[in-house]
Amino acid sequence: MLLRHLQNVRREIALPASKRAGSLALRHVDAGSCNGCEHELAATANPYYDLQRHGLNIVASPRHADVLLVTGQITIRMVDSLRRAYEAMPEPRLVVALGDCATGCTMLGDPRQLAGPLEEILPVDLRIPGCPPAPQKIAEELLGLMRDMAEHSTTRRAFVEEAITPPTRDVEAIDTKGAKHA
Amino acid sequence: MPALKAALVERVTAQDWRAACERHAQAGGRFCGLFASRGSQGLQANCLFARSDQDHVVCAHVSSGAIDTLVDLFAAAGRDEREAHDSYGLRFAGHEPMRPLLDHPVEPEAWTVAVHGHDPYQVAVGPIHAGVIESGHFRFTVVGERILHLDLRMFYKHRGLQTAAEGRPLADGLRYAQRACAACAVTNTVAYAQACESALGLAPDRNLRRARTLLLELERLYNHLNDVSAICAGVGFAPGAMAFAAFKERAQRLNQRLTGHRFLFNTVALAAGTLHIGQGDTRAAREELKTLDEEQRRLWRELQFAGSVQDRLGDVGRLTREDAVRLGAVGPSARAAGVHQDTRSESPRLFYGEFVPATPEYASGDVAARLDIRRVELAHTFAILDELLTISFMPGGVKDLDAPPNGLGVGRVESPRGETVCAVQTDGHTTGRLHLRTGSYANWPAVAHAARENLLPDFPLINKSFELCYACADR
Repeated sequence: MLLRHLQNVRREIALPASKRAGSLALRHVDAGSCNGCEHELAATANPYYDLQRHGLNIVASPRHADVLLVTGQITIRMVDSLRRAYEAMPEPRLVVALGDCATGCTMLGDPRQLAGPLEEILPVDLRIPGCPPAPQKIAEELLGLMRDMAEHSTTRRAFVEEAITPPTRDVEAIDTKGAKHA
Repeated sequence: MPALKAALVERVTAQDWRAACERHAQAGGRFCGLFASRGSQGLQANCLFARSDQDHVVCAHVSSGAIDTLVDLFAAAGRDEREAHDSYGLRFAGHEPMRPLLDHPVEPEAWTVAVHGHDPYQVAVGPIHAGVIESGHFRFTVVGERILHLDLRMFYKHRGLQTAAEGRPLADGLRYAQRACAACAVTNTVAYAQACESALGLAPDRNLRRARTLLLELERLYNHLNDVSAICAGVGFAPGAMAFAAFKERAQRLNQRLTGHRFLFNTVALAAGTLHIGQGDTRAAREELKTLDEEQRRLWRELQFAGSVQDRLGDVGRLTREDAVRLGAVGPSARAAGVHQDTRSESPRLFYGEFVPATPEYASGDVAARLDIRRVELAHTFAILDELLTISFMPGGVKDLDAPPNGLGVGRVESPRGETVCAVQTDGHTTGRLHLRTGSYANWPAVAHAARENLLPDFPLINKSFELCYACADR
């Protein structure tokens, strides 16, 4: 009955099928939010939005993530953890400022307790405004980001392929180095 | 229901502080928070008590920088004293060791309880968690998988909202109270407005009381639906988690339609109403809530007969009634342990009539009871909303109480997580000191206590069954 109920819910909502253009692994860090952005980000997984069907997944570790989603005003007690999460991510990596606090639109609090705007701490690639941004808005922005990434990645792949096809001379250099170490 | 009176302030010397507080406890006063403030005469300690007649505040000037501790009288004062120590430098004689709360020293010895014995070790979790969760650090001391002790290190999200509000016009304080926590935005702003109005000698009229009660129950509705979803997720029961997440979404969309915001932001004003809902909209909202109620009731039956859910809930994260009272637990978590306290029954500034606190049939204080109390309270909330929405909503206002402004106001409001207390010291028409002690703040020690002797992998479930905010505890 529960599953039937969910089936009905899904049928009523009638989400369009996903035109998957790849996937993005997301890691969220709350750097001092009011919990609103967390609620709305979590809501993007509910049956009304179901972001996962597009290949957008929240992953447990920054080491598995393509995107760092940062919420809140950056507190002095969170800034080090935030930096460490970013440093743990493999490259290429993107930073998304989620909500008006992270985008720097709202500064409410004691300046002695805040580390400053996110963009002075990490390079921000995408800003999602809203207080908090509605799940629909978060979904649209993240899907847009994924499309941009897919377009870039075709050109990037060509670039990378070119870069990793080394001239013969370089291969010799590596061999010599290897021999030295051996 | 107590009469509508402003809080009674009792000024005592630092020497009489402890005895005065003890007297209130003996007279049946319930400890509701302790905070430090700095006035023209220097450092001041303040302790709040809820008594059946009215709220009482004991204030003492502390010229020497130290005052007697109350932590042996009220275990619930532990975190309050630690916060007053870290943020105002107030020392408490007899509170040993004074572990830091806001300060984050590196050495674990400074802030954890030493555990000795055969083979205990520590597991550190956070501040960044694996899911979409707020930031906070848990330090478990375990043997094998069994939790012996849990130390919480919070205030990672401390934004200094209370100090930032100081010196600003009273009406500005609403923004700071609201920003403390999105999921308790209405509770925090209503508590703040009540505190200010009480300090100014004002009382809300009928329209304003009805409007604020509607907002508070709409907030409870989406929060409780969210909590049920979270508990289902905690036992890995995805269909339940998704179904209740969809209910929560519908409740939030209703908030959007009625007030223009999914979290009901900016709906509470100082000494004035903002809500204007016509007959057509109240009727539509009533219909929507009726359908939602019928559907969620059907699914509750499913949850109650889902063996894979129910088998995971019993005797997990048990909080006894005695511990709940001793630690000052409030809200659904306390009622699930059999504590008959609900601030809605003590709210003359709201529109709850003769409200009676609910407890579940088996007030066993475990995760099962904390899930069941949500079922009971959801039924009450749907009933209250249905009754309120029979008439349209007009912006209300305030009337004068026959009480002179006394410079200190207290507001107490039942949030989805328990009683939230707001104290405001006014300085003319500006905020002298804002102190917000939310239901989450009061309940965190109970979470740490309930986790003891449980298995480490059950902790996420125990935590979700309390479903506390970090934001409104850290502020």
